[in-house]
Amino acid sequence: MARSTSKDAQALFQSLRSAYVATPSSLKIIDLYVCFAVFTAIIQVVYMAVVGSFPFNSFLSGVLSCVGTAVLAVCLRIQVNKENKEFKDLPPERAFADFVLCNLVLHLVIMNFLG
Amino acid sequence: MVKLCVLIAAVSLLPILCLSFSPDNPTDRRVLVLLDDLSLKSSHSIFFNSIKSRGFDVDFKLADDPKLSLQRYGQYLYDALILFSPSTDRFGGSLDLAGVLDFVDSGHDLILAADESASDLIRNIATECGVDFDEDSSAIVIDHKSYAVSETEGDHTLIVSDDFIQSDVILGSTKVEAPVLYKGIAHSVNAANSLVLKVLSASPSAYSANPSSKLSSPPLLSGSAISLVSVVQARNNARITITGSLDMFSNRLLRSGVQKAGDSNKYSKSGNEQFVTELSRWVFHERGHLKAVNLRHHKVGETDEPAIYRINDDLEFSVEIYEWSGKSWEPYVTNDVQVQFYMMSPYVLKTLSTDQKGLYHTSFKVPDVYGVFQFKVEYQRLGYTALSLSKQIPVRPFRHNEYERFIPTAFPYYGASFTTMAGFFIFSIVYLYNK
Repeated sequence: MARSTSKDAQALFQSLRSAYVATPSSLKIIDLYVCFAVFTAIIQVVYMAVVGSFPFNSFLSGVLSCVGTAVLAVCLRIQVNKENKEFKDLPPERAFADFVLCNLVLHLVIMNFLG
Repeated sequence: MVKLCVLIAAVSLLPILCLSFSPDNPTDRRVLVLLDDLSLKSSHSIFFNSIKSRGFDVDFKLADDPKLSLQRYGQYLYDALILFSPSTDRFGGSLDLAGVLDFVDSGHDLILAADESASDLIRNIATECGVDFDEDSSAIVIDHKSYAVSETEGDHTLIVSDDFIQSDVILGSTKVEAPVLYKGIAHSVNAANSLVLKVLSASPSAYSANPSSKLSSPPLLSGSAISLVSVVQARNNARITITGSLDMFSNRLLRSGVQKAGDSNKYSKSGNEQFVTELSRWVFHERGHLKAVNLRHHKVGETDEPAIYRINDDLEFSVEIYEWSGKSWEPYVTNDVQVQFYMMSPYVLKTLSTDQKGLYHTSFKVPDVYGVFQFKVEYQRLGYTALSLSKQIPVRPFRHNEYERFIPTAFPYYGASFTTMAGFFIFSIVYLYNK
């Protein structure tokens, strides 16, 4: 097997980007949303590491709201992806309605647990 | 009219009668002295007179008096018993070994003096109290180094000892200067009994043997293991003094001068009188009897005692401790009284500070643990009666509305939660209108 070089990595990223350009814009929006949620979660974890775990319930609800958001968004992305044959019978309107309902439940729980 | 007079007399006598049963007066009042021989009454009169002069009713009886009884109708007739009857094999009347032990078990005091004629009964009473007299009935304490100098060179059985227990409460605050004369049998204290104390020990050169026969085997008891006078304070605060010398209390030794062999100091009067008087004061609860009253606790800044505390409350605790002086309750002043805040183990252990007037107080924070706690004061000091107080108090956690709201530290978490909510809202709009 040939030795990998930085050239190979560059080629890999290039092909990834070119492949990603072909992704429908609705999925890109979801990706952006997931990145936002994960980034917010990381900020909170870093903050907790700095100031300590008190109040722990607030920390948990803050982080879990981000994680839950990201998970639900990923689920939505799976269901509305046209190339995913598993959910080809599921209309995207139905998937989005599920997503909204789950988010409402998630935030209800988060608000209660926030302290 | 006569009936009325009798009634008035009875009612006016009632407080006096009640006084004699008052737990507020721990000093004994009625003392029964059991003797082998009524001549002891005169030969030991100094000791008995000192007891009488301190206000005790002293009742002398022969140990084999057929009407002898310590109690009548379930009530004890006496507060203290002095057994100056070493050779009695069995008591008269209904009194026996169990009767004497029951007397002590119900919190009454006992002074027991034996000599070389000590009977099995007396030995058994001593054994039950944690003191074992030398089993050899012919043995007495001999000391060829610290014997009392006399005109005739005797067999060194009249020994002197000044090895007292270091306790102001048992022997009084005035030091016993002159050594104590002792002539009698040896005993050892039972090592398994933690309540018995040696008050007067023999010198290291003492041993217990028959003075008239040649010593063929090493003596069973020798040196400082020999106790001459021992005291016991039972867990119910009954006090017992046991000694192997009845002569120690006699007028002859109380009045005698003393000079220790090899010591040029000659005392015109032996230490016996001071020693036996102070010891009897202690035994009869004229000294070293403590009581703790007015155990109080409340939250800082309040005065009422709450039924329950919350975790992390600040509280103040106080208790008053008094010592009985023989006539009145005097403030007890020390610096080593501690309170425990206890639930299976002490969560808080604090030394109480005193105002020198008997009031002990401290303040502390309730630990961050909820459950049923106790305030405990366990005070056990040599010679003093034990204090054991406990008061139960529950501690509850915060109520749901007693927690902090909107903690500044948590603002980033609040922000993140609302940001994700807003993000969800914006995402929904962007996603739905993106075509």
